[in-house]
Amino acid sequence: MTSNRLTTSPYAGKWRSRLTICLLTAVWIVLSGRLVFLQWIGSAQLAEKANRQRTYLQTISARPGDIIDRDGRLLATTVNARSLYVVPERIADPEQIATELAEALNADRQSLLDRILTHRSKRFLWIKRRLEESEAAVVRALNLPPQVWGFRKEYLRRYPQGSLASHVIGLRDIDGVGHGGIEERYDELIRGRDGRRVLVRDARGRVIDVNDDHDELPHHGRTVVLTLSAVIQLYAERELDAVMTQWQPRTACAIVLEPRTGDVLAMASRPTFDPNQPVNVAHNAWTNTAIASMYEPGSTFKPFIVAWALETGRIRPTDRFDCEQGAYKMGGRVLHDDHPQGWLDISGILVKSSNIGMAKIGERLGNEELFNAAIAFGFGRKTGCELPGESAGSLRPPDSWNSYSTGSIPMGQEIAVTPLQLLTAFAALSNNGRLMTPQLVSKHIAPPPFDDVELTNTSSRETVVSRTVSPATARWIVEGPLRDAVRVGTGQAAELSDYLVFGKTGTAQKIDPATGTYSSEHHVSSFVCGAPANNPSVVVAIVVDDPSVGRTHYGGQVAAPAASRLLRKVLIHQRVPADGEPLRAAQR
Amino acid sequence: MFFRFGSALVLIVLISLAGVAVEKRNLELRRRVIHQHFQTDVLRDVHARLRLETEQLGAPVRMLDSIESGELAVRQPEQTVDTSPRRVPLLEWRRAIPTNQPTAAPSQ
Repeated sequence: MTSNRLTTSPYAGKWRSRLTICLLTAVWIVLSGRLVFLQWIGSAQLAEKANRQRTYLQTISARPGDIIDRDGRLLATTVNARSLYVVPERIADPEQIATELAEALNADRQSLLDRILTHRSKRFLWIKRRLEESEAAVVRALNLPPQVWGFRKEYLRRYPQGSLASHVIGLRDIDGVGHGGIEERYDELIRGRDGRRVLVRDARGRVIDVNDDHDELPHHGRTVVLTLSAVIQLYAERELDAVMTQWQPRTACAIVLEPRTGDVLAMASRPTFDPNQPVNVAHNAWTNTAIASMYEPGSTFKPFIVAWALETGRIRPTDRFDCEQGAYKMGGRVLHDDHPQGWLDISGILVKSSNIGMAKIGERLGNEELFNAAIAFGFGRKTGCELPGESAGSLRPPDSWNSYSTGSIPMGQEIAVTPLQLLTAFAALSNNGRLMTPQLVSKHIAPPPFDDVELTNTSSRETVVSRTVSPATARWIVEGPLRDAVRVGTGQAAELSDYLVFGKTGTAQKIDPATGTYSSEHHVSSFVCGAPANNPSVVVAIVVDDPSVGRTHYGGQVAAPAASRLLRKVLIHQRVPADGEPLRAAQR
Repeated sequence: MFFRFGSALVLIVLISLAGVAVEKRNLELRRRVIHQHFQTDVLRDVHARLRLETEQLGAPVRMLDSIESGELAVRQPEQTVDTSPRRVPLLEWRRAIPTNQPTAAPSQ
C-alpha cells in the first residue's frame, strides 16, 4: 500500500524534472551570458586582440631620390643591397658558422663568434649590412643551412662620381639620414616617406593574405637637380689639386659662379673625402671651406669700397690721391704699401693695390658709409645658399669701430668673409650691380613614373637680392680698374690671350695666434676674376689658406694662374665666344 | 512544387558558381597586379644599377685625360656658338675655343 502510494504519487517525479530544468536553465543562462559578453560587451577588445595576432604591419621603404647635375649626370643614387642576418637560436654550430662567414666577408672571426654567442637566444642578428653583390654571391655559395641565415633588402647610397663635389652633395649614412651638403639640407625631400602594408598571418606566422584596404604606397624620394656641372666641377677640383701639390697650403677652395643667374657651377674644397668610403677621413676634410671658413679678404675687398665711394659721390673717377711714397701716418699708426707709389688715380689705386690710397678713400667715406658698403655687398650675413653650415663671416657694428678701422676696412682687414660671400659680391659688380643669391639647387622632380611632370620648383630662387651700385658704376669698375689689374697690375699671371679677363688679387696676412698680431709669414692668397670684361659670363674665385712653399705668397702668384686656367676651361665649356676682336682692338 | 523547388535550387547553385568564378577572376587579377608591382620593383632596381654603372664608366674623371690627350674622339657641334641645352652632354666636350663663325662639319 505504502510503496504504491509512493510510486503513484503525482509529486514524485516533479522535483527531479524541475531540478533538471533548473540546471539546464542555469547552464543556458551562463552560456547565453558568456555569449552576450563575447559578442557584445567584450567584442571590440577581442576583435582587436585577434587582429593583432593575425595581422602584421610591414613597412615598405621609400627609395631615396637621386641628385643630378645640371646636365643630368648622376651625382648620387640608391640601389638595392642585401644585408645579411643570422638566427642565433637556430645555429647548431656557432663556431663553424662564424668561421665560414668571417672568411666570406673578410671579417674578424672571433668578434663574429662573440656576437653570435652573446645573442644566443635571439632570433635575429645583423652580421653585415648592405653587402656588395660579390659578397652576397660568396655568402650564397657557402650553402649554409637555410633556417639559420637570410638576406634582407636595404637601400644602399652610391656616389658614382666618387669624391667629386663631395662637400656640396654630403653623404647619407647607414640609417639613411643625410649629413652635410644637399643630402642634409633636402633630407626629407630626398628620403621620401615609407609606405606600409597590412599582412594577414596564420597561427604559424606564415602570410596568407594581404589586406589591400589599408595599404599605403611609399612616396619615393624626389630627384634634386643641382646647378653644378660635373665637368666644370672636375676642372675646378683638378686645379685645386695642382694648387695643393704646388703650394702645400692648409686648405684651399674654388668656386665658379654665373653672375647673371647666381647659379653655382662648381664649388670645391680641399682637403676632401670620398662619400663612398667615409672612413679614415682627416678631421678638417669634412669642412666646406668655401662656405664655412672665414678670413680677412685683404685687397680683394677694395673694389667694393671704391665702387661704393663712386656711387655715393665721395670720389670721382678722375680724382687722384697721394700715396705718400709707401708710408702714411694715419692717426696713431703708419700704413705701408708693398710697392711705394706717388700720385695715383682711382684706377691706379686698384691696379697697384695701394693700401694708402684705399685708406684715404676710406677717410672720405667715413665709418658709417664703409659699413653701409659692406652691408650692401652682402658681407656680415649669410649669402642664403642652400648648404647647411654656412658662416655669416664677421662684420662688427660701426659703433665698435675706431679710427684704425677707417684705414683697415678699405684694405680688407677687420672684416672676415667666406669665399662664397666674396665671389657673390664680385658677381654683383659683374652683373651691373645686382646682387644675386647664389643657387645650388635648380629644381626637384618626382621619381618615375611621374618624372616627366615637372612639379612646382620649391627652391627659393630669389632673382635679385639687392642693388649695390648703379650699372654704370659697376661696368666702370669691371671694364676699367679690374680689367687693368689683370692687364698691367698684380693679376698679370691671369691674363689670357683669347678672353678679356678682369679680376683682383688678394694677399691677406693672417693673425699669429701666439702674438695676436699680423704675421708676415702666414697669408691667405686669393684671386677673384671673371670674363669677358665687356659682358661677364663667368666669375671664379680661388682662395688658398697659408701656402707653405717658397717665401712669397702673393695672390697673383699662388691663386691667379690656377684661377685663369679654370676660367678659360669654363668659358670654352660654356661656349662663350673668344674676345679676339675686342682684344685686338684694345691692344691697338 | 518539386519543379519550383528544383528550379530554386538550380538558381542558387548557378549564382554561387558565378560568384566563385568572379572571386577566382578577382584573385587572379590581384595576383597579376602584385606580380607587376614586383616586376616594376625589380626593373626599377635593375635600371638603378645599370644607370649607376653607366655613370661610373662615363664619369668625367675617367674620360677627361683621354679627351685632353686626343685619345678619345670628340664630337664638334656644327654650331659652335649655341646656347641651347646639350642633348648628349657626355659626348660634347670641347678643346677648341668657340668663335662666332660656324665651323665646317668634321669629315667622317
